[in-house]
Amino acid sequence: MPSVLAYHRPTNLDEAAELLSQPNRTALAGGTVVVPEARKVKPEGVEVVDLQSLGLDSIETVDSRVQLGAMVRLGDMNTDGRLSATIREACKRELPSALRNQATIGGTVAEADPDSLLLAALLVHDAKVTLHQGAGGQGADDVSLGDYLTGGREGLIVSISVDPSGHGSIAATGRTPADVPIVAAVACATDSGMRLALTGVASTPIEVDSASPPKLDPPGDFRGSSSYRAHLVEVLSARAIQDAKAGN
Amino acid sequence: MEISLTLNGAPTTLDVEPFDTLLVALRREGMVSVRYGSDTGETGASAVLIDGKLINTDCLLAAQADGHDVMTLEALNAVDMHPIQEAFVTSGALQSGYSAPAMILGSYALIAENPNPTEADVRDMLSGILDRETAYVKPVNAVLRAAASMRGETLEAFEALTVQPMTDGKSPVVVDPNDVAPAALDAVPRLIPSDDVPEMSVVGKSEIKVDAIRLVKGNAAFTDDFEARGQLIAKVLRSPHAHARILDIDDSAAVALQGVHAVIHYQNLPRVKYASGGQSWPNPHPYDQVSFDDKVRHVGDRVAAVAAETLEIAEEALQLIKVEYEVLPAVFDEREAILDGAPNIHDEADTEGIHDRDHNIVVHIGAMRGDVDQELANAPKTYEQTFRVHQVQPCPIENHISVAWLDEDERLVVRTATQVPFHVRRMLAPVVGMEIKNIRIIKPRIGGGFGAKQEMLIEDIVAHLAIKTRRPVKLELTREEEFMSSRTRHPQTITFRTGVDDDGSLLAQDMRMIGNTGPFGTHASTVQTVAGLRGLTSYNSKSKRFDCDVVYTNIPVPGAYRGYGAPQAEFALEAHMEDIAHDLGRDPLEFKRQNWVKVGDELDIAPHLGERAVEEGEMDEYPKVVTSGTDECVAQAERAIGWHRRNDPQWTNPADRPNIRRGLGFAFCMHGTSIPFLDMGGCSIKMNDDGSFNMLIGATDLGTGADTVIGQIAAEVLGVPLDDIKVYSSDTDITPFDTGAYASSTTYISGTAAKLTAEKVRKRIKERAAMLLDIEIPCTIELRDRKAWSPDGRSVTLEEIALDSLHWQDQEQIMDTASYVSPDCPPPFAAQFVEIELDVDTGQITVIKLVMAVDCGVAINPITASGQVEGGMMQALGYAHCEEYAFDDDGRMVNAAFGPYKIYRADEMPSTEVFLVQTMEDSGPFGAKAVAEIPKDGVAPALRNAILNATGVAINDLPFTPERVWQALDAGKES
Repeated sequence: MPSVLAYHRPTNLDEAAELLSQPNRTALAGGTVVVPEARKVKPEGVEVVDLQSLGLDSIETVDSRVQLGAMVRLGDMNTDGRLSATIREACKRELPSALRNQATIGGTVAEADPDSLLLAALLVHDAKVTLHQGAGGQGADDVSLGDYLTGGREGLIVSISVDPSGHGSIAATGRTPADVPIVAAVACATDSGMRLALTGVASTPIEVDSASPPKLDPPGDFRGSSSYRAHLVEVLSARAIQDAKAGN
Repeated sequence: MEISLTLNGAPTTLDVEPFDTLLVALRREGMVSVRYGSDTGETGASAVLIDGKLINTDCLLAAQADGHDVMTLEALNAVDMHPIQEAFVTSGALQSGYSAPAMILGSYALIAENPNPTEADVRDMLSGILDRETAYVKPVNAVLRAAASMRGETLEAFEALTVQPMTDGKSPVVVDPNDVAPAALDAVPRLIPSDDVPEMSVVGKSEIKVDAIRLVKGNAAFTDDFEARGQLIAKVLRSPHAHARILDIDDSAAVALQGVHAVIHYQNLPRVKYASGGQSWPNPHPYDQVSFDDKVRHVGDRVAAVAAETLEIAEEALQLIKVEYEVLPAVFDEREAILDGAPNIHDEADTEGIHDRDHNIVVHIGAMRGDVDQELANAPKTYEQTFRVHQVQPCPIENHISVAWLDEDERLVVRTATQVPFHVRRMLAPVVGMEIKNIRIIKPRIGGGFGAKQEMLIEDIVAHLAIKTRRPVKLELTREEEFMSSRTRHPQTITFRTGVDDDGSLLAQDMRMIGNTGPFGTHASTVQTVAGLRGLTSYNSKSKRFDCDVVYTNIPVPGAYRGYGAPQAEFALEAHMEDIAHDLGRDPLEFKRQNWVKVGDELDIAPHLGERAVEEGEMDEYPKVVTSGTDECVAQAERAIGWHRRNDPQWTNPADRPNIRRGLGFAFCMHGTSIPFLDMGGCSIKMNDDGSFNMLIGATDLGTGADTVIGQIAAEVLGVPLDDIKVYSSDTDITPFDTGAYASSTTYISGTAAKLTAEKVRKRIKERAAMLLDIEIPCTIELRDRKAWSPDGRSVTLEEIALDSLHWQDQEQIMDTASYVSPDCPPPFAAQFVEIELDVDTGQITVIKLVMAVDCGVAINPITASGQVEGGMMQALGYAHCEEYAFDDDGRMVNAAFGPYKIYRADEMPSTEVFLVQTMEDSGPFGAKAVAEIPKDGVAPALRNAILNATGVAINDLPFTPERVWQALDAGKES
């Protein structure tokens, strides 16, 4: 049985939600992660639901926040002056050129990669996820990105909004300059205080209390043991916070 | 399903399956410039422009492109080259050219958006296209030149910068810290001329590659670009276990699946033992492999293979094969595999020639000069250090790929991405039960090899399946398979013991090594022998000994990888010598200089190590160093890196960056040029009506520029421009024999064969010219500028000579052939310097600059030679800094993809500078020695020594990942 049994391209959210409510369906945004995964042979096969025709690819300013349609490409965020320098920098470091042109913000959020620098940058910029819950116009839900990542990650992502204000800073350690960070700390000095998020220490990027960071016991792997990652958290958090403060 | 898109400007409807990637759909339409490198967009080889943006097609469904505008490189291929293509061709940006189409399209999009891109913009654009060949140096420059040219700026020709020698070529100089090296772009090779080298017209010039057009236009050139009718797709079922016996295989459901044409495994194929390493006859023992065995010895080992109508059917068939395993204990570390009670990896009776089967020792290698034990006992100072080097992969962007079919005469033809077509033909014959005369191997363009393709890796599988199905069968490895089942660098444990006299001269060097050859002994003996050779040849010592066990384990198979044992040995040696110097209170460079081999010194242990090794007492006279540009290399590179800064605390400990330490490191490098008395290359040249020539060579251009360089050698002899030499390589039915592309031999061996052939052809041309010019002594005639010239200044064109000889009088085909095997192995030498910054709080190293000065004899083509050095240094940097195989407890590789494995990208490569120090090596063609492998040797030790300079901490295990460095700094603090 072939891996991808059918391809759907719905043109409105209700249709998309309806298609995705069936068994063995996968939402397809850019495809950088989903396409290689879907093409692996599985006994049951999958049907993909491509979200490209839902009109979710615009960047808008709503009040003081920037709203990113779920299908906005990281490559377009990278060059958008309405976003903070930290988010733009994180977009650039998230993926190399061609993958950046394909991957979407919605896909990045749904994937919840524990090493995602971009998710950490979104967390400190007070990101909120707007979800389309089910078919039939039951309305939209807003959840904080932190809750989305640690929760069940259910529902179709419509948009992500961020507060672009504040002065942010990234401190990261990798094997090489462009490596996916082993651990990264992203800080942002905001009107309501210093926010701090970390990658490489839990099953998703997490936001932590910048004043009294929790004692972490990160999972280790060949790039960094648990104790080394814990050490990096201390060093990099302090650096990111210091740089974020200095920027204000 | 049908999709509609705009393809290269034309509205197009394609019939695709839901699971088809756009890569598959475009290649099916004949867009062969779109290339496979992975399934995850990691390599960028498959990238095209979609709605004007560079996007990978290997992780994009064809259906996703419905309604969009798709542009492939074919869109640019009008008769003339686009300015971007022109820039790639004229500034040396092409090596294999496998990913050139993606790079050119990315450049096209970038320049369309921003006509004035910065270098950072270009590097960012290239960040998604991995390259293992050029280190991105010349592609980046090519894109900047293209942009300038498209802005209407006039550009000077891209060529080498001549830098005046700093030494007299015989003795060292003290480099003045205030002396600054001439400025030039990184991409520009610095050429240091020598008075010994005569002026030539084609050799020594940066000629455009002879295969430039097909590469820069993305024309059909690689194995996968030609497709026979009715071609089936093969897939291989691979072991999930590191060590297991196969008790039974049930293939009935797979065989029954519609579209499956054959399933092969140990129960239905004859058991023919072989060794897969591509080496001269007779291949070194043991022959410890069969096409399919009843035992698996590493995760990823072959279990069965299928041939089916489509890839999807083949993959489904694999899932239907039921295999019953008896899982056995496995061992991965070479130091554990030799212990009593370790799992016995080759317990089968029909593998002969294993040195010590019970301890998994495949082969023992020993060689000695002088009395090492006595000298060590008497030495005023002795030192002992142990180093561990890890497992890495060549990572050519083109994976292994082979297509086999029976031709109209029912001979077996295999088109394959190989470095060794002639070895494959000979080795394949017994495995498939055919005679050599009935097998033909075709090597088209290759998308990089670096040793991984010096192997009969998958040719037997497609051959078996083609014979069984009587249909063409293609097998292309995935990136994950490339990691798990291709070939890797040998991990080793190396111990050096050195005795030093009061005056700093070496009394004894004792090298003990345990080499890890994984489950098969392919290249086991030869790689480790080269490691011994390279570990014990760089420095003069009164006595020397090499003692080595090569052992079986259950890791993915090590084999040939550019450098072939030298990078491991020279890492250990250059680290060891550095530490001895520090202990003695000597400047490391001066201590090494006191001891390294110089012109006239004996290469004393070399004849005792190697495939044609001699016994002690058999040699009347040992080979000697004849040419060495080492002192010039050191002077040039020392000045370029600013070597004096290493002792300046204000530089090493920058006051404004308290967590940063800076450091500089040096390594002396020495390599070989071919295997003496063994490597042979053949060449034939025939003259055409217009005075041009067809040259056939068995030599195997992998993207290295071998065809170009060998063509230049022939052109120089025949007095014609390179464009008049049409080079073809290689096809076992058509071209003369050549051992293949390995052992730094191609320019030296195959190049000399071409020179000898051209000289024979030239002799006949002169004789014919003498007839036409009415001259009695033909040897007084000279060939230049496409003419034959008499001493009195009269001339006849080569075209006139050709027409006369082919059509007019005493007709004959002017044609000849020659071959060459060398008694010599003249070493290239080099100085490698590395500059780093190190974060002491995290252990992260940032490499700032790599400088290498190489004495490669005469650089036949300075641009392609410098490209070899740049790409080699980048691979060596990956080896030293970040690349590594990581496994779970069961021996399964956990990072079999480029991101987690980590190879360097364009947007993070340090600055590189290459100096080509010219020496006249009379044994080589027009003075050439080797250049392709020596850049692999020095980066790891120079980086290690730079860490030592920056922090005072010496690290003896590779690679220098942040945690390893941090742990070492932490341990250093405690001690």
